[in-house]
Amino acid sequence: MHYNTNLISTLTLLMIFTSVLAIELKSLRTAVGAYLVQALMIVGLLFAYSVVNPPLIIWALTALATKAIITPLLLWHTIKRTGDEETPAIIGFGPSVVIATIIMLVFYKLTHQHATFLAPTSGAQDPAIRTNLAVALTVFVLGLYGILTRRDAIKTVIGLCLLENGVHLSLVSLAPTMRETALAGIATEVVITVALLLYIVTGIQEKFGSTDTFQLSELHW
Amino acid sequence: MSEITSQLPWIVFIVPAGTGVLIYLVGRKSSLLRGILTAIGVIVAFGAGIAMSVSTYRGAILSAWGNELRVDALSAFMTVVIAGISLVAAGYSLKYMKLQALQDRVGPEVIERRLNWFYALFMIFVGTMLWGVVTNNVIMLYVAVEATTIASGLLVAFYWDRRGLEASYKYLMLLTVGITFALFGCVLLYSASSPHLEGVNALLISNIKGVAGLFPRSIAIMAMAFLIVGFGTKAGIAPFHPWLPDAHAEAPTPVSALLSGVMLKMAAYALARTVTIFYTDFSPVTVFLITLGAFTMVLGIAMALVQDDLKRLLAYSSVSQMGYVIMGIGFGTYLGVYGGLFHIINHAICKALLFMCVGAVIYAAGSRQISELGGLSRRMPVTSACFFIGVLGISGMPPMNGFMSKITIFMAGAQAGYWWATMIAMFTGILTLVALSHAAWAVFWGHPAKGNSRNDTKEVPAAIWSGMVVLAALTIFLGVYPQSLYPLLNAATKALAPLMH
Repeated sequence: MHYNTNLISTLTLLMIFTSVLAIELKSLRTAVGAYLVQALMIVGLLFAYSVVNPPLIIWALTALATKAIITPLLLWHTIKRTGDEETPAIIGFGPSVVIATIIMLVFYKLTHQHATFLAPTSGAQDPAIRTNLAVALTVFVLGLYGILTRRDAIKTVIGLCLLENGVHLSLVSLAPTMRETALAGIATEVVITVALLLYIVTGIQEKFGSTDTFQLSELHW
Repeated sequence: MSEITSQLPWIVFIVPAGTGVLIYLVGRKSSLLRGILTAIGVIVAFGAGIAMSVSTYRGAILSAWGNELRVDALSAFMTVVIAGISLVAAGYSLKYMKLQALQDRVGPEVIERRLNWFYALFMIFVGTMLWGVVTNNVIMLYVAVEATTIASGLLVAFYWDRRGLEASYKYLMLLTVGITFALFGCVLLYSASSPHLEGVNALLISNIKGVAGLFPRSIAIMAMAFLIVGFGTKAGIAPFHPWLPDAHAEAPTPVSALLSGVMLKMAAYALARTVTIFYTDFSPVTVFLITLGAFTMVLGIAMALVQDDLKRLLAYSSVSQMGYVIMGIGFGTYLGVYGGLFHIINHAICKALLFMCVGAVIYAAGSRQISELGGLSRRMPVTSACFFIGVLGISGMPPMNGFMSKITIFMAGAQAGYWWATMIAMFTGILTLVALSHAAWAVFWGHPAKGNSRNDTKEVPAAIWSGMVVLAALTIFLGVYPQSLYPLLNAATKALAPLMH
């Protein structure tokens, strides 16, 4: 049994592309749409890997429910209450895309070459697994970049979701034999955290008038 | 070392969490029912903790659910700390949450609705913290720590005003990012040990300990880095601490007492459990932890010195004291780990005591800004005495408990040869005394602030100060008879310290 390498490579590159989109798009609703596309790709990737490792089907279904259905619904529900327009970030669109591309290239190359550094299992020699690790960490770093540089609170939550996507995707290469219940537990927790965060954000909208995180400056020193 | 199967490990956390769910479902009917359920939850948990300590201090290990839950002396010690402080905080909260200022701010019906949520989440919060210290599964450890963040997120935002919401947003965001780093670390631990251990066993911390020496060096370093960043964020280690002052200051006081007094320690426990497995084979991590501890100590107290808000001052002091715990554990020697663990219980008692005193001040005088308060000792003698005892305890002055644990840490540093660490620790102790005595003096002695001579300030009701007095008495007792904890702490240290010199 071998992995369908072409499918996996395509999904991989598209996933990185959607991460950048999710961070950069000004319309919050469309950004969530980009996130949804990425979530569906993760589900697709998990199904692709499950050809060699059947228990991953449960992972794919869990990801479908939590990442592709519940999270975008929560996000869209909140955006309905807080508005679609994003508060502009400190870094403009142009420079931001450049930085994101650089991050992407650097991390992808780094992890691809050093995959054995991270996952010293025999499975790591397989190019599909190396790709998986590389894209997982790239999405992780892009998510972190989103959280640190975006000014709109909803965008930071999207960045957090990307971060989590990255880590959960890396589990495929690092812990393929982990019990499905463990992964279900992890995924549920993330969904609950996102739901809570969004609830707080609606509260912020109520009390501060917008989701601009720069306004959150009552507490300092 | 005998392994006994017991029901206590799951009772200790299922009961509080269960009462939390029950309170959510039926607590709205009457506050008496709510009070009874809360009491049952914390008393059973505390009782289970004591029972487990009695079994484990002789070296036995209690396990349940097929070794998924594993309680050795260290875990039993932590359950006693967590359940004990929760018991006191819950009792304190019964009267405190009825404070008039809150009633005036949002109206009694809103309070009633929110109080139900408050107690439900409070009990679930206690349950998740207890789960974290009894679990043997490295992924469930991550799940439990994340669950404590979830349970307390809404508690931090309880007042639902601008400051509370801002604090809660930062709290949830920073801690979730941090804990995701820890997840990656836990997964690395699992993946590195699975070639050496069969299937499900690779998840169990007790098994991973055995094979840690077989990990490739690169994986070990990466895992340690991610785990320290991840659990360190939760434990309030600098430079990952910015969520701490906001969350601890803006939460309602009983919750602050739990956050500062207990949750930080639970995170330090998670850090200790996962990072100490590397001590024997990768010793540079000890120096790293000591340095991190020193940095945290100094940063915490430096920020505390400039605070006007009493609760923020206490929160920064918590950051500083967690530095002591990490430094103690970082030494890796018997004395160091003993000092760190002893400081866990001492700081839990003192910090909860101090927060409760500040809560009493808020209850009676309506403010927590040092500049607005003054001369309260005449009207609030019990609170002033308790606060003063807490200050001495935290600063490490004899005959309080803090003195005993701090001197253990100083000696551990000297014995291990880390003179610079001992000097920094002593210096921080002096600064702690300065910062907290200044606060104590300004608030309780001296003259009332200009234009703020409220004549209606009086001592808080007994329901509020009784908990404070219990903790103050414990502070003195542990300072005068530190040997009373020796059997349990000795066993707990032996469970953790592999480099015993």
